[in-house]
Amino acid sequence: MDVGGVLLVVVVVTALSFDFTNGVHDTANAMATSIATGALRPKVAVGLSAVLNFAGAFLSLKVAATIATGIVETGAITLTVVFAGLIGGLAWNLLTWYFGIPSSSSHALIGGVVGATLIAAGASAVKGKELVSHVLIPAVLAPLTAIVVATLGTFLVYVITRRVPEGIRSRGFRLGQIGSASLVSLAHGTNDAQKTMGVITLALITGGVIRPDAGVPFWVIVASATSISLGTYLGGWRVIRTLGKGLTEIETPQGFAAESSSAAVIFSSSHFGFPLSTTQVCAGSVIGAGLGKRLAEVRWGVAARMGVAWLITLPAAALVGALAWASANGIGGSLGVLTVFCVSAMLSGGLYLLSRRAPVNAGNVNDKWTAKERSA
Amino acid sequence: MNDWLDLAALGRVLVASLVAGAGLVAVFSLALVGLSAGKVIGRAGAGVCLLVVVAGVVLGLHVMLQK
Repeated sequence: MDVGGVLLVVVVVTALSFDFTNGVHDTANAMATSIATGALRPKVAVGLSAVLNFAGAFLSLKVAATIATGIVETGAITLTVVFAGLIGGLAWNLLTWYFGIPSSSSHALIGGVVGATLIAAGASAVKGKELVSHVLIPAVLAPLTAIVVATLGTFLVYVITRRVPEGIRSRGFRLGQIGSASLVSLAHGTNDAQKTMGVITLALITGGVIRPDAGVPFWVIVASATSISLGTYLGGWRVIRTLGKGLTEIETPQGFAAESSSAAVIFSSSHFGFPLSTTQVCAGSVIGAGLGKRLAEVRWGVAARMGVAWLITLPAAALVGALAWASANGIGGSLGVLTVFCVSAMLSGGLYLLSRRAPVNAGNVNDKWTAKERSA
Repeated sequence: MNDWLDLAALGRVLVASLVAGAGLVAVFSLALVGLSAGKVIGRAGAGVCLLVVVAGVVLGLHVMLQK
């Protein structure tokens, strides 16, 4: 296999690995509240989400064969930049998964690509204004919008159903919550699996494997859908725990209002061309569900930790992306890319082993939020 | 449209999100009130409310597939 071939294979494998971590990380967005309220058993919830993510990946195939569209000059994007950008996104996804912090996979990927582009092609290749208007400002608006919608929704739910017997109320909202969480899962599969399809298609075009006007190869669709749904099924229990138990104690009506708010904001923002991060919307909805119920407690320490993570997503992923590009370029050729890939794989394995010392899984994800976790 | 922020799009997102995210949630809650009433009129009202919710969901799916 020639140098270009090796690079192409490594980029495709890295893109599918990123897709996998995207699934692991974002299971929480759709299912954390359903698991926390007991609307679905943990394994059933992640299984349902995995199936819907898989189906969602096939629903819409208008994939843009670009990455970080409009934020970096397309001419500056080479296969090595894409690879380094993916490594930056992967590293941030895994680190935030380890600490159980909901964080946007899209922003991590954009950060990685921006970092790699900065060092590969210079600051002029990065469009700073677009970065602020397309990523940073929406990052502030996403949770705020969701908080407003979920607070109002939760308030209305409790006021309207205050005289409804607990049995009907609980059963009704449980069913409603499963429905709205399913919509979030479906939307996630449609939006996020396409990012990977776009990256792989771009790599195949750059590598001369397919023509620029060719559609997405079927195997790319199947591989991306399988990868994201496998990650979803394994369940990012650490993130699920933070979103379902850490931010606030959620009851079934709150869970229903939170998931409905998330689905509504995600669908609306996508339709009106004002894309907001699914993760930030879902986290905002959970906070809103806490605010909308009288006397419910929102753990602002956990929310603040999440906010800080969102602020440093871009620079942190950019730093790793830049380091990955510099290392791959410094060693040179396919050996450079392979070396960075192997080192990244080893570090990821090490983080996984570290996580086994205090595992979070389907058995303990709903345990009471501890004082230790409060102070972490 | 502001150079940094598409205020018109943001406004539309906020209104649509409130209608779908809080409005449909309220309609669904009304359906539960109707179901708990135990009367025919209550059940009929609940049926209408649930139809509105289903229509909203179908519209949402349609919008998503049109992308």
